[in-house]
Amino acid sequence: MVHLISMRLVQTPLILMAIFLITFVCAWLIPGDPLERPEGQRPPIEIRVAMAKQYNLDSPGSFLAGYIHNLLTKFDLGPSLQYRDQRVNEIVASGLPVSALLGVAALLVALHIGLVAGVLGALRPGTVLDLSSLGVAVVGVSLPTFVTGSILLVVFANLLQLAPVGGWGTARHLMLPALALGLLPGAYIARLVRLGLADVMASDYIRTALAKGLSSHRVLFKHALKVAFLPVLSYLGPAAAFAVTGSFVVEMVFAIPGMGEHFVNAVLNKDQFLILGVVLVYSVILVLFNLVVDVAYAWLDPRIELT
Amino acid sequence: MRWLLLAIFVIDLVIVAWLFTGKQSQQEADFVFVCGTAHRRLDPQRMSWGIDLRIAECLFDPLTRIKLPEMVVEPAAAERWQVSEDGRTYTFHIRSDARWSNGDPVKASDFVYAWRRALMPDLVADYSQLLWVIDGAERFYTWRQQQLMEYAAGEPDSEIAKQYYHDALDKFEKWVAVRVQGDKTLVVKLVRPVHYFLQLCAFGTYMPVHQPTVESQTTIDRHSGRLVQDPSWTNPRKLVCNGPYVLSRRRFKRDLLMVANPHYWNRAAMGNQSILELIIQNPANALMLYEMGQVHWLPDIPSSGAIAADLLEQKRDDVHIAAAAGTYFYNFNCKSTLLDGSDNPLADPRVRRALAMGIDRSSIVKNITRLQQRPAMSFTPFGAIPGFDPPREAGASFNPQQARSLLAEAGYDSIRGSKQLKGLSILYNTGSGHEQIAQAIKRTWEHELGVVVKLEGQEVASFGERLKNHDFTIARAGWFGDYRDPTTFLDKFRTDNGNNDAAYSNLAFDRLMQDASSELHPIKRMAILRQAESLMLLEQPIAPIYQYVNFQMFKQDHVKNMFPNPWNYRRLELVEVNSVVGD
Repeated sequence: MVHLISMRLVQTPLILMAIFLITFVCAWLIPGDPLERPEGQRPPIEIRVAMAKQYNLDSPGSFLAGYIHNLLTKFDLGPSLQYRDQRVNEIVASGLPVSALLGVAALLVALHIGLVAGVLGALRPGTVLDLSSLGVAVVGVSLPTFVTGSILLVVFANLLQLAPVGGWGTARHLMLPALALGLLPGAYIARLVRLGLADVMASDYIRTALAKGLSSHRVLFKHALKVAFLPVLSYLGPAAAFAVTGSFVVEMVFAIPGMGEHFVNAVLNKDQFLILGVVLVYSVILVLFNLVVDVAYAWLDPRIELT
Repeated sequence: MRWLLLAIFVIDLVIVAWLFTGKQSQQEADFVFVCGTAHRRLDPQRMSWGIDLRIAECLFDPLTRIKLPEMVVEPAAAERWQVSEDGRTYTFHIRSDARWSNGDPVKASDFVYAWRRALMPDLVADYSQLLWVIDGAERFYTWRQQQLMEYAAGEPDSEIAKQYYHDALDKFEKWVAVRVQGDKTLVVKLVRPVHYFLQLCAFGTYMPVHQPTVESQTTIDRHSGRLVQDPSWTNPRKLVCNGPYVLSRRRFKRDLLMVANPHYWNRAAMGNQSILELIIQNPANALMLYEMGQVHWLPDIPSSGAIAADLLEQKRDDVHIAAAAGTYFYNFNCKSTLLDGSDNPLADPRVRRALAMGIDRSSIVKNITRLQQRPAMSFTPFGAIPGFDPPREAGASFNPQQARSLLAEAGYDSIRGSKQLKGLSILYNTGSGHEQIAQAIKRTWEHELGVVVKLEGQEVASFGERLKNHDFTIARAGWFGDYRDPTTFLDKFRTDNGNNDAAYSNLAFDRLMQDASSELHPIKRMAILRQAESLMLLEQPIAPIYQYVNFQMFKQDHVKNMFPNPWNYRRLELVEVNSVVGD
C-alpha cells in the first residue's frame, strides 16, 4: 500500500507537468486576442502594447517563464484577463469551495438514490419496485441536467415557492442544484449496483452463505454489496472530481458562483491565466481522487494488486 | 432489510422537510437589482464596462453629474466652474463639504492624482484616451511608454526604476495642463475647445480616488519599471470613497452591497439608504426573482434572446424600452486590396452603396430583433444628441432596383451574368442573434441583387482580432457613444482612427472633422459635423442597420426616479422604492 501511494506521488508532478504544457500550448493557440473587445472603443495602439506587455502576452516564452516562476515561488496563478481586479487564486478560492460543497452534496444524493434504487431492484428483480427504480434510473440518465434543473426550478422554486430561485449561502440554496446534479450519477450508480448485485447474489459463495443459515440481510450487506460496490467505486473517482469542480450547466441554471463557468468562459474569453489555473486545479483534484479510489480498491478487495 | 430501507426513507423525509420549511431569506437593502455578469473591476480609472461604471457612480462623486430626466450637466463634487472665452480653460471649485468616507476633505489634488493614474501606461486604463483632450496628456502618455521600454531594455535595478518614476512625475507636472490652486480649485487647460468636456468630467475615468489608500497598495516593479497597484484597494475593507455609498460587501460573482456614505455631501437628497446588486447570469433566473418581488430592477436583460421579445409581446407596463445611443451596422472593407492581395470589389463606393440598398431593415427589426428597434439610416443615432439632426436622407434605404443599376454601373451583372460580384462573406461573432440577421441579409442580396455571399461565424475573441486587422470583406459591428456629441460616432471614420475598422479614408471628411473641432460656434459646428456624416454616408463605408434599444424592467408605481434614456444615464442614489421587497 505504501509502495502504491509513494509511486503515485512520484508520478503526480510528471502528469501535472504534461497536462500543464499541453494546456498552455492549446490556450496559446486559441485564435483571438484576449485584450480585444469587438464592441465599442478600441484603445489606441500605445495602450494595447502596454497591456500586452503588462500581462507578458507579447511572447509565449516570457509568458511561460513568468507564469512558472510565479507559480513555483509564490503559488500565484496570475491575474485574470477577464475579471481584471481578481487574481486567479482569488477566483479559485471563491469558486472551489462552492463547487466542492455542491459536488459533495450531489454525490451524497447520487449515492443515496443509486444504492437505494439499485438494492431494491436487485432484491426483488422483475417486481414493480424493480421496474420503477429502473424507470427512475433510465429517466435520470437520459434527461440532460439543464432540463431536470429547469423543471426543478420551475416546480419547486417558482410554482410551489418551497426553495430559493437561485443563488448561494444557505442549506436551502443547496437542495435543488444538488438534486439536479446528483440525479444523473445517481441513476448510473443504481444501474451499476443493480447489475452487480444481481450477479453477485447468483454466485456460489452467496448461495453457500445463505445455505449456512446467514440472514439475507447479513449476506447482502456484509458480503454481496462490498463486491457489487467495486464498479461504483471506480466510477466515483472521476465522478467526484467532476462534481467537486462544478458543473457549468447546473451553476448557470441555479446562479451558483462556482468554478464550472470558468471551464467554458475562460476559453471563450481566451483568458490564458484562468484557463491554466482551473485546468491545473482540476488535474490536481482528479489525480488525488484517483489515488484515493485506488487505495480504497485495494482495501475493499485485497486480491487486486496495483502498482 | 425492509426496516432499514424504511429508516433511510424516513430520515430523507425529515431532511427534506427541514430544508423546505426553512425561512425564505429576506433581501437586506432598500433597492435591489440584478446585474447580468460579474464585474471586471471597481477602479474607476481603469474601467470601461457599463456594469462597472454603474457601481463607480455610486461609490465615487465626480466633478459633475448628469441630471435626469433633463440630461443636463449639474454640479457634483465641484459646486461651480468657469470656462474661459476661448473654451479651453476650465476652473472648477470643489465644494467645501465634500468629504471622503473616512472624513478626509476632498481636494483638487485628488482629481489630479486620479487623472495622472489614468494617464500612466503602467496601469493600462482602458479609457486613457478620454483624457487626451487635456493639453499635454497624450504627449505624457507616449513619453512614459517610451521611457518604460527603455527601462525594460536595460538591466533591472530598483533605484533606476524609482528614478524613472520620479522623472515621470516631473514630466506630468510640466506637461499636463492640470493645476491646483489651494486645496479646492482645479484649473484644466484643453488642447482645443471641447464642447462635451463637462460630460466627460462625469465619466468614470475622471472620478477622484483617495490618494493615501491607493498609494498604500502601490509598488514599482523592478523588472519592468512599471507602477503596480494592487486592485485590493477596492475591497470593501480598504476602499475609501466620496460617493453616495460605501462598499459594504463584495462577493465575486454573487453580490455587492452598498450602504449610504455618512460623509456624502448630498445625503439629504438620497432616495434610498442601501443598494444590493445580485449577480445572476441566467436571465430566466433573474426574471423569476423579479416576478417573485425579490428584485426591483432588471437593467441587463439581453435584447438578443427570446425573453425580451416575449416580455414585450405581453405588453406589460413594467417593460421599459428606450432607443439607445448606439447603432448596429455592417462594416464594408474599403481597402483597395484584401489581406490575401486580391482586388477588393468593395473599394468601389457604388458597390458598397448597392449592398447597403439591398438590406431590408424594416423586415429585420420586425421579424428578427423584434424589440421595436428603429431602422437606422444614419450612423449617429436619431434623437440621441441634442442639437444634431443626423443626415438620414444621405443614407441608403431598401431599394433593390436602384441597387441593381448601381452594380451594373460598377461593371457587375446582377442576376446570373458572366461578371458577378464574388468573394464576399459576412463575418460575425456567434451567439447573440447575429447569425439570423446575417442570414436574412444574405438571402435578400442573393434574391434581389444576385450577389452570393458566404457566412462566417467566429467566436468573439477571434472575431475582434480579425476586425482589427481588417481581415474581412463585410463584418457586423455595433457602436455605442460615450458622450453626447456627434464626434463620439464620427471620429471613428477619420483616416488615422484606431477604431476605423472599415479602413475608410477620405481627406475631405478628415478636413471637415478638423474644421469642426476648431469651430467655436455650437450651431455652425453641428452643421459641419452633419455635412461630414452626410459625405461619409454617401460613400457607405458602413451600412447602418438599426438603432439599439435599452431594455429594462421595473414597476413604475413602486420604483421612482428612474428615467430610461438613450445614454443609459441613471442616478441610483435618487431612486426611491415604495414597497418592501417581497410585497
